[in-house]
Amino acid sequence: MRYITTIGNHEFLVEVLDEKHVILDGKAYEVDFTSVGDQPVYSLLLDGHSYEAFIYPAGKAWQVLYQGISYDALVEEEMEKQLRMASGGFISETAEYHLKAPMPGLVVMTVVSDGDQVQKGDVMIVLESMKMQNELKAPRAGTVTRLRVKPGDGVEQRQILLTLV
Amino acid sequence: MFNKVLIANRGEIAVRIVRACREIGLQSVAVFSEADRQALHVRHADEAYLIGPAAARDSYLRIDRIIEVAKRSGANAIHPGYGFLAERADFAQACLDSGLAFIGPKPSSIAAMGDKAVARSTVSAAGIPVVPGTEGEGALRDEDLLRLAPQIGFPLLIKATAGGGGKGMREVHDLAEMPGLLHAARREAEAAFGDGNVYLESLVEGARHIEIQILADQAGNTIYLGERECSIQRRHQKLLEESPSPFVADDEDLRTRMGAVAVRAAEAVGYLNAGTIEFLVDKEKNFYFLEMNTRLQVEHPVTEMATGIDIVKEQLRIARGRPLRYSQEDVQFKGWAIECRINAEDPYDGFLPSTGQITQIFQPTGPGVRVDTGVYPGSEVSPYYDSLISKLIVVGETRAEAILRMRRALEEYIIIGVRTNIPFHQNLMDSTRFMAGQFDTRFVEERFLIGSADSDKGERPEMARQIAAILATLAAHRETRRAANIVQRNERDTSNWKWLGRWERLQR
Repeated sequence: MRYITTIGNHEFLVEVLDEKHVILDGKAYEVDFTSVGDQPVYSLLLDGHSYEAFIYPAGKAWQVLYQGISYDALVEEEMEKQLRMASGGFISETAEYHLKAPMPGLVVMTVVSDGDQVQKGDVMIVLESMKMQNELKAPRAGTVTRLRVKPGDGVEQRQILLTLV
Repeated sequence: MFNKVLIANRGEIAVRIVRACREIGLQSVAVFSEADRQALHVRHADEAYLIGPAAARDSYLRIDRIIEVAKRSGANAIHPGYGFLAERADFAQACLDSGLAFIGPKPSSIAAMGDKAVARSTVSAAGIPVVPGTEGEGALRDEDLLRLAPQIGFPLLIKATAGGGGKGMREVHDLAEMPGLLHAARREAEAAFGDGNVYLESLVEGARHIEIQILADQAGNTIYLGERECSIQRRHQKLLEESPSPFVADDEDLRTRMGAVAVRAAEAVGYLNAGTIEFLVDKEKNFYFLEMNTRLQVEHPVTEMATGIDIVKEQLRIARGRPLRYSQEDVQFKGWAIECRINAEDPYDGFLPSTGQITQIFQPTGPGVRVDTGVYPGSEVSPYYDSLISKLIVVGETRAEAILRMRRALEEYIIIGVRTNIPFHQNLMDSTRFMAGQFDTRFVEERFLIGSADSDKGERPEMARQIAAILATLAAHRETRRAANIVQRNERDTSNWKWLGRWERLQR
């Protein structure tokens, strides 16, 4: 199977021949790829060289944490990528933005109310977790609708706090 | 003399104190909240008692319940650790009133140093230089602070009088932004310490944060155990400490002068047991008293590893009325120690706290490596307490050896289940400025960029990026095949249903 893997501005053509062999940009390698104890930690033997990394799914892409450096890699089948390029790239952002709690915690204050106009970077909610107060900011300009929490509320991770339109 | 110690704390420091008790032959009593039944300190201590719900204010901050447990268990001393009740004079007093030895200073010393504004006036009366700021005692109102600010000059810092750990601290660059920052600082201080009082202090540029560990016994001997360099901070939270300091290095004269001043500051409040005097040191090697921490500190292991003195055991001995086992001349650096604080925070996601269950840990070992931790595979990292899950300490003959050793140990350290700041430390170990010892307290925020795929340095990145590309592709390839359910039977021994369940959980 042929993949095009994109990291930043770099594109790599990776062909997976079988479980044991890959071709990277025209050069063949013998590989032995295994997860450590069914975990997001993977061990790779590449022509005998040993590498270890965390690999997390991150939306459509993969986050590879290798030697302290984080790489966001988009892996696409060659065909899929060609189709995407032909159709003119990704669809732009959806109209609504849901502000989700990045971690479980306690709502300290709600800076905005329903109907408020916010600019990108404006603080909308202050959330306390692990004794630290975290300011949750607007990722873009918009209008606040459906504010779902009030000060003192405990929230779960990824719980929707408000919606921005 | 006491023989059973109650540890009014949790996490790695509670484990650390249990260990000292055990080695010295004292019985240990742990207390725990409902969230900590499975915690390591509960498992290691000789006895353990539930003191309340998960929230600290209902458990680890409940003086009445802790003292009641001490009485019930027959403990006759209390070690407060750090954080929680460690710097509460009323707690130390309550222990004494109940006939319990408090393993720490006298309540009066805690009170004198606890209010940072009072501490500044106390030590400056003893002739010790302090950073210019509002010396006024008691509560200053916003109007007063706004009036005094221009006299101190900008930039300046708003600090909580009950402060510590950077909470309730704000940097101010001009008068216009000050009211908002005052409000935020008071709000945070109120939440963290139940006290919204703040004071102002001039911001020393290019400053280093260097502190002196002291020990004082009941016979009136006070010694210092050299310095610790704590300039590697983010938002005033220390991330890495080392001892000795690369800035003091072989300047024995500076070390001796700072040590003498630290001893004088401690004596000014009749200090007993272990404590730390924090100094700001400017580029010209002028040093100013910042504050005194009247307790054991998170970073005490670097001093232990560099000097060979077990500070927690000394604390226990001092509290039992024994004289110090060391004179000032006995204290010598025997190596170079570095500590990395391992926090459950994702450095690639704005250092956001990460909670959840730790499923697996591969802990570094080998020569010169020490790990102080309160977690193990299966532990929950809960949002109730701070994010420090472990301290990785290494010691080497020289600073260079210590750095190389730390780099090796960080590579070995794998924690699975929560995100950690280990990658941050790995990047730091590769930073040429860190290696050269050229950094101040602003270094992490201003001159240090954690590596991403875009921050290239030298030849290595190209190769590393290729490895990352292969890893991602193989992981994606595997998932595609799994999703298409074309995995060969013996390739995976768990059933596809189980696997599907795991995959769905992962995607949630």
